Amino acid sequence: MKEYALLIISAALVNNVILARFLGLCSFMGVTTRIDTAVGMGMATTFVITVSSMADWAVGAYLLEPYNLWYLRTVTFIMVIAAAVQFTELTVKKVSPPLFQMLGIYLPLITTNCAVLGVAILLVEARMTFIEATLFGFASSVGYSLVMVMFAGLRERLALADIPRLFAGPPIGFIVASLLALAFMGFSGMTS
Amino acid sequence: MGGTVDNMTDFSAPTMTEGIAQVVAVEGNMAWLIPESGSSCGGCSSAAACGSKGIGTISSRLEARRFQLVNDAGLRIGERVVVGINENAVLRASVTAYVIPLATLLGAGMLAQSVAGSDMVTMAAMLAGLVLGLWLARVRAGRLMAKGELAPRFLRRASMGETCNS
Repeated sequence: MKEYALLIISAALVNNVILARFLGLCSFMGVTTRIDTAVGMGMATTFVITVSSMADWAVGAYLLEPYNLWYLRTVTFIMVIAAAVQFTELTVKKVSPPLFQMLGIYLPLITTNCAVLGVAILLVEARMTFIEATLFGFASSVGYSLVMVMFAGLRERLALADIPRLFAGPPIGFIVASLLALAFMGFSGMTS
Repeated sequence: MGGTVDNMTDFSAPTMTEGIAQVVAVEGNMAWLIPESGSSCGGCSSAAACGSKGIGTISSRLEARRFQLVNDAGLRIGERVVVGINENAVLRASVTAYVIPLATLLGAGMLAQSVAGSDMVTMAAMLAGLVLGLWLARVRAGRLMAKGELAPRFLRRASMGETCNS
C-alpha cells in the first residue's frame, strides 16, 4: 500500500501534469475563469483520464506489445481516448439527461486535451501493472483538477483586483500560473 | 457616519451561477431554450447562432442540451434570457456523475487486487464497480431532479450586448 500512496502523491503533486509537465495548458487557461466551470471540467477530466488509462494499458498490453505494434501507439491511444470520451458522454446522457445538460459541455474539450494522451504514454513507458496504471491516471487527473480549481480561485480574486491595464487578462494569468508552478516545485524530492 | 444598511439583501439565499440561453420554441405555457456555448472559445453568441448542422458540431451539441422553462415572463422565440442554477448544483452534479462511479470503480479494483492479485480479475472487478457506480449515480440524480436542484431558473431577459463572458 505504501508504494501506491507514493505513486499517488508523486503523480498528483510532485510531477503535477499541469505545473510540472506543462500538459493540458489550453484548458488550464481557458476554463478557469470561474471556480464552478473549473470543478466541472476537472471532474470530467478525472473520469475520462482514469477510464482511458485503463483502456490504454489494456490495448498496450494485449494488442500493441504481443504484435510488436508500438509504433502505432500514438494513433491508437488517441482513438481510445476519443472512444472513452464518447463512452462518457453516452453514459452520462443515459444515466441522467439533466446531468448531461449541465455537464455535457465539458466533454468535447477533453478529447483534444494533451494531458490525457500524455498520461497514457507515460504509464505505458513506465511499464506499470494494471492497478498502478489506473492509480497513476487517477492521481494525475486529481492533481490536474486540484490545480484547475486553485487557479480558478486565484483568477476570480484577480478579477476584483486593480490590475494595470497592460497586464489585465491573460498576461497576469500567466504570471500567476508561473508563480503557482514555482510553489509546486516545493514538492520535488518528496518521493525520492 | 457610515453607509446605510441594506435590509433587503438576503444573505442566506443561495447564490446563482448565471448563463445565457436563447428561446427556440414556445409551447403553451412552456418555453424551450438552448444555452449559448460559453466555454473556452469565448464566442458564445456567434457559436449559438451557427447554422451548420451535423453530428458533433457546436450546433448539434447545443440542441442536445435543450431544456424547458415555465414561460411566466411571456418569452418569444429568439429572445435571449439569463438563467441561473444554484452555485452548488454543478458541484453536486459533478460528484453524482463522476465521483460516485470512480469511487466504486477504484474501490472494487483495489479490493480485487488485494484478494486475487491478477490483472484480469482486477479489470473485471473494476468494470463491475463502474456499472454499480453508474447505477448509484442514476439513483442519486433522480433524487436531485425530484428536489429541483438541477433545473435552471429564469432570472431576467439578457440586455443588448450581454454575453456569458461579461
